[in-house]
Amino acid sequence: MLTKFETKSARVKGLSFHPKRPWILASLHNGVIQLWDYRMCTLIDKFDEHDGPVRGIDFHKQQPLFVSGGDDYKIKVWNYKLRRCLFTLLGHLDYIRTTFFHHEYPWILSASDDQTIRIWNWQSRTCVCVLTGHNHYVMCAQFHPSEDLVVSASLDQTVRVWDISGLRKKNLSPGAVETDVRGISGVDLFGASDAVVKHVLEGHDRGVNWAAFHPTMPLIVSGADDRQVKIWRMNESKAWELDTCRGHYNNVSCAVFHPRQELILSNSEDKSIRVWDMSKRTGVQTFRRDHDRFWVLGAHPNLNLFAAGHDSGMLVFKLERERPAYAVYGNMLYYVKDRFLRQLDFNSSKDTAVMQLRSGSKFPVFSMSYNPAENAVLLCTRATNLENSTYDLYAIPKESDSQNPDAPEGKRSSGLTAVWVARNRFAVLDRMHSLLIKNLKNEIVKKVQVPSCEEIFYAGTGSLLLRDADGVTLFDVQQKRSLATVKIAKVKYVVWSADTSHVALLAKHAIMICNRKLESLCNIHENIRVKSGAWDESGVFIYTTSNHIKYALTSGDHGIIRTLDLPIYVTRVRGNSVYCLDRECRPRVLTIDPTEYRFKLALVNRKYEEVLHMVRNAKLVGQSIISYLQKKGYPEVALHFVKDEKTRFTLALECGNIEVALEAAKALDERGCWERLGEAALLQGHHQVVEMCYQRTKNFDKLTFLYLITGNLAKLRKMMKIAEIRKDMSGHYQGALYLGDVSERVRILKNCGQKSLAYLTAATHGMDEEAESLKETFDLEKETVPEVDLNAQLLQPPPPINPLDTNWPLLTVSKGFFEGAIAAKGKAGQMAADMDVDAPGGEGWGEDAELQLDEDGFMDAQDGLGEEGGAAKEEGGGWEVEEDLDLPPELELSAGSGGGAEDGFFVPPTKGMSPTQLWCNNSQLPVDHVLAGSFETAMRLLHDQVGVVQFGPYKQLFMQTLSRGRTCYLGLPSLPCLRGNPQRNWKDCGTKQGLPAVGLRLSDLIARLQQCYQLTTAGRFEEAVERFRAILLSVPLLVVDNKQEIAEAQQLITICREYIVGLTMETERKKLPKDTLDQQKRLCEMAAYFTHCSLQPVHMVLVLRTALNLFFKLKNFKTAASFARRLLELGPKPEVAQQTRKILAACEKTLTDAHQLNYDPHNPFDLCTASYTPLYRGRPVEKCPLSGACYCPPYKGQVCRVTQVTEIGKDVIGLRVSPLQFR
Amino acid sequence: GPHPSPNVLTGGDVDELFDVKNAYYIGSYQQCINEAQKVKRKYAVVMDDIKASSSPELQAVKMFAEYRANEGKRDAIVAELDKKMSKNVDVANTTFLLMAASIYYHEMNSDAALRTLHQGESLECMAMTIQVLLSLDRVDLARKELKKMQEQDEDATLTQLSTAWVNIAVGGEKLQDAYYIFQEMSDKYSPTLLLLNGQAACHMAQNKWEEAEGVLQEALDKDSSHPETLINLIVLTQHLGKAPEVTNRYLSQLKDAHRAHPFLKDYLTKVR
Repeated sequence: MLTKFETKSARVKGLSFHPKRPWILASLHNGVIQLWDYRMCTLIDKFDEHDGPVRGIDFHKQQPLFVSGGDDYKIKVWNYKLRRCLFTLLGHLDYIRTTFFHHEYPWILSASDDQTIRIWNWQSRTCVCVLTGHNHYVMCAQFHPSEDLVVSASLDQTVRVWDISGLRKKNLSPGAVETDVRGISGVDLFGASDAVVKHVLEGHDRGVNWAAFHPTMPLIVSGADDRQVKIWRMNESKAWELDTCRGHYNNVSCAVFHPRQELILSNSEDKSIRVWDMSKRTGVQTFRRDHDRFWVLGAHPNLNLFAAGHDSGMLVFKLERERPAYAVYGNMLYYVKDRFLRQLDFNSSKDTAVMQLRSGSKFPVFSMSYNPAENAVLLCTRATNLENSTYDLYAIPKESDSQNPDAPEGKRSSGLTAVWVARNRFAVLDRMHSLLIKNLKNEIVKKVQVPSCEEIFYAGTGSLLLRDADGVTLFDVQQKRSLATVKIAKVKYVVWSADTSHVALLAKHAIMICNRKLESLCNIHENIRVKSGAWDESGVFIYTTSNHIKYALTSGDHGIIRTLDLPIYVTRVRGNSVYCLDRECRPRVLTIDPTEYRFKLALVNRKYEEVLHMVRNAKLVGQSIISYLQKKGYPEVALHFVKDEKTRFTLALECGNIEVALEAAKALDERGCWERLGEAALLQGHHQVVEMCYQRTKNFDKLTFLYLITGNLAKLRKMMKIAEIRKDMSGHYQGALYLGDVSERVRILKNCGQKSLAYLTAATHGMDEEAESLKETFDLEKETVPEVDLNAQLLQPPPPINPLDTNWPLLTVSKGFFEGAIAAKGKAGQMAADMDVDAPGGEGWGEDAELQLDEDGFMDAQDGLGEEGGAAKEEGGGWEVEEDLDLPPELELSAGSGGGAEDGFFVPPTKGMSPTQLWCNNSQLPVDHVLAGSFETAMRLLHDQVGVVQFGPYKQLFMQTLSRGRTCYLGLPSLPCLRGNPQRNWKDCGTKQGLPAVGLRLSDLIARLQQCYQLTTAGRFEEAVERFRAILLSVPLLVVDNKQEIAEAQQLITICREYIVGLTMETERKKLPKDTLDQQKRLCEMAAYFTHCSLQPVHMVLVLRTALNLFFKLKNFKTAASFARRLLELGPKPEVAQQTRKILAACEKTLTDAHQLNYDPHNPFDLCTASYTPLYRGRPVEKCPLSGACYCPPYKGQVCRVTQVTEIGKDVIGLRVSPLQFR
Repeated sequence: GPHPSPNVLTGGDVDELFDVKNAYYIGSYQQCINEAQKVKRKYAVVMDDIKASSSPELQAVKMFAEYRANEGKRDAIVAELDKKMSKNVDVANTTFLLMAASIYYHEMNSDAALRTLHQGESLECMAMTIQVLLSLDRVDLARKELKKMQEQDEDATLTQLSTAWVNIAVGGEKLQDAYYIFQEMSDKYSPTLLLLNGQAACHMAQNKWEEAEGVLQEALDKDSSHPETLINLIVLTQHLGKAPEVTNRYLSQLKDAHRAHPFLKDYLTKVR
């Protein structure tokens, strides 16, 4: 039994769950009715109008109403939205024990100590029926959930079932008048047949306190002062006692059926709640309180929730944990449902039962730990008494029939929790709270001393999280060492991110996110219970509380994503989808809007492109996001949201974005703005903006000084003029000083009547003329001409070396991160471009390789085979060659030392068979030998199978092939690496039958044809021929699996041959002279032969057009006509077709050939690829063993023109590209 | 039935150097700077640090460092070593045995390497023995040696790594086991180049080319010129059917930076 919520109050006598909201009403012995939110654990409202205890309480199923009945004889109907009592129903003459709404009709049923049961219409607010018959207090009366029945319990020791169908017919049939029955007197007159006793259930031998119908079956449960709980069954005609549940040792207060399970709950004044198995009539659970007698029970109509009222409050509880046991690995969810282990593939949504669990435990599986390496699970089961907890170790069957899955034998042991710590080790926390490490056979391998610990959690390979009362410790199992500890009370669940870089520790009301080293990154407190969580792919923790899906960034930022009606258990989060299990253990997928947390995450991670993208594309705008950004120190980002110029201006200044600020300032054009902008710009050295600001604010002094320090003499002079105009004498003078303009200074002084100063200035600076004229103006009688200081020095401002037109170097801070990020993006673009530039470099290397390859060239096969054939056999791969070369001296030396003293018994092992040697032994396919590095044998095979004699062109192919034959991995540091040899039959080759993974696919070669076709279309014949030849030469290095593919490989050769022959001939033809008639005739012949190569229609059209034109010009109209017809058959483009038809029409006028040519379109022929002459059927012909190209007999023994590697007319085994060809 | 291992009895046998050694074995050199100086070919630092008066263990390290650093002196060092080996050696000096065997292994004198290692009984010696045996394609003997290691300490990092090497050599179903070992260590410590290439080798041996691509990309991100990563990429890109330019780029990178790498030496021998 799990207590979800508890209250402390006066004695609770009545309880009612709200059917939809997480609310419960409790009516108390002190007259108060409380409305609680049991999920938020808060008191929502109090209703205090009854005088004395309130025993009856019930929510209406649809309307915002509830009904109460008290010891003040009053029935009150309340509206909880309006928070007041709507009306009071009077009529009972004693305490009211229960009050219930009808699920459908506007009725209230009340039971009273006045020995009556009454039915009220709350719409007309009248009593519509009085049920009399009990001859003691009626303790309880309830409507049947679907039929026209009432059950009642009384201290007269009986339970009665009443038929109220008469009442329903009378009151609710069409035309019925509600007011038919008014007052009790009316009942007496007409009510006799409205409600009749159907069954009287006798069996209790004390007063009965409670009776209730089963929600679906014809059953009744009752509880009585005889300490018994009885189950009754009824049918149309009778009712009888089925069974009795004995166990309470004081009065049973209340008894109810479990709404969904075969269980009965009862509580009693013996201070216990008991749960009974309906079929076995035995107690399955007992929950005791120390001091409080129980008075009432409530069952939630839809959820697995119950409530019980007692002497000092009430509790809301559920009988068992509803959290399914599950584990997630990759795309798979494993979970337990109905004694089956099920597997859900998130991608395909395929949900299958993979095995049946061993039965034997009455408790559901508590938790699961999955081991992907061994495909094994640990299922932990918690018993009520923790010490009796067990775990089961199962190997999940590989193949399983989902309809009827296997039930494999598991290994069961006692232990609180078992989790995997390595692929072949798991840790068990046993009942003594010590830690055992076990292997896959469930044998103890190690016992590990651990700090005090009450629970263990997975923490990656070799580690565990240990929970004690107030913290969690990361413990290394191998080193037996605590690595780190964090303080967090009562962690219940632990959720690791996929890469185990972060972990979320979930407690009842708190979440702590830590890194791999268990350093706390953030703490989040929740008022509502934390239920579950999962990490999304971007490193955001998505979690659920009882009523929300929320997110948390590792920085601690968190918020609500959406609300939930019912708790769910998150299993995985991908993109917008939250995968979860609900309380019925059904996998579900909920959609969420991740924009907000993605946005915040991008901000935290400084991924400003993303931020910008979201700003531009998502609907994120709002004051809240702007203030969030500002608060978090991202004014530059906020700037992008803001349209209001004033805010823009402030934000821009905050992030030092002078450009934007200037823009805003211009729009606003307020003195204050310009001033602030001027200050900010000056700090950044943006003096052009400063100038503008000073101009706008008419701050002449500052502007003048600005011009001085920026060396802008022209403007400085202008400022002086302005000062003069403004009659700002001191400004004027200052300007003159700055400019070093002595005559101006003299003029100013003179003009303002400072004659002496003017004279002095002029005289001091040697402006004698001026001085003289000034001197003359002195009235020598009244005035004295001042003395000129003989030591006076000329004071001149230093002239600017270089007037500063551009800005000062700007402070780097002036660029916010945001702008920086955008700038960086630009750079990244350049990088990408660089990469492209690099690409030709790669090709450049190709040339390099070419050079190396060509240094000596491959020897001809004959030579190679003759000289090295023998040696190759012994030496095998390159490794051995070097070893043999280097080893002998050392060998002798170490043999000497080895022969000495103590280690004489050590015999160094001989070298084993390397996989590459085995490949050669196992295969007769050339490519396998190439991959093995055995070029010599590969060459011999190519020689024997397809007649290759020139290996030069094969060299690069060999090298390329070889380079994909061996992987490597590091063994001990500082030693050369070890080699891996990928094999194509690795699954079943054993130790001896290996064959290399080839890495060259037929489909890839076929795909390469397209490129060749394009080159052909483009008229780049030589390049095309080269590529066709490369494909052709690669075909013997294929390995294929079936006959179809063998045929395709051969077809590929044919295609390449036809093109190579045709294109080579055409290239040749274009080089020939066309001066004489014979020469022209030869050209025509070759063009005609070309039309007999097998080409793609698109190419054949081109070939035919060439031939047609040539033959037409030669006036060989008859043959030309045949070309024209062939051309039209191919369905060329309309304009081509039209022209062709014209030519054909012209030809058909004179259907003759002007010249005799060596070409007969009707006589089938092969073309000699060397002489380009037709070899008509029946003539002797020699063929290339690889390409199948034909030759006149004299060419036998020469190298084939198509392949350039094979010997014409050579007797060979034939192309071998599949092991099938050797069977 | 359950047999308590010796560890249970000895209790708190915490190895103070565990982290350093462990980091070294899995190739996490950043974590063990001294080793890093040696391994990252800054041999001069090691040689300068080690004086004639230093312990025999350090002398052995110095010998290896000198051998690796001076190509010209190698013959002399090997001759000197041979002389030492012909006398009575201190078999308790595991470091000396390892360094001597390493030199022999580099010299491709696997007999001498094995003979040297045979005298030691530490996990390190056994692990190196296994590597030498694997290079000789003696998987059968390597398995025997591994069994000895497992008896000594099955859960030790070196035993686990050795198990992975042997598993790769055995092939078939064992490849996945090997993969899990590397994976597990990546999870537990950190995904080093050694572990990532180990995973890649397993993937490729199982023809799981796409999976290998992810792992090797991660390795490449960590170090764009790591020779083993490049070699594996050369193999992989071809099996994935990538354009030859892609493969060639890795090959030229390998040639530029690691001309002395045995793989390349081998490969270029073929060209000649």
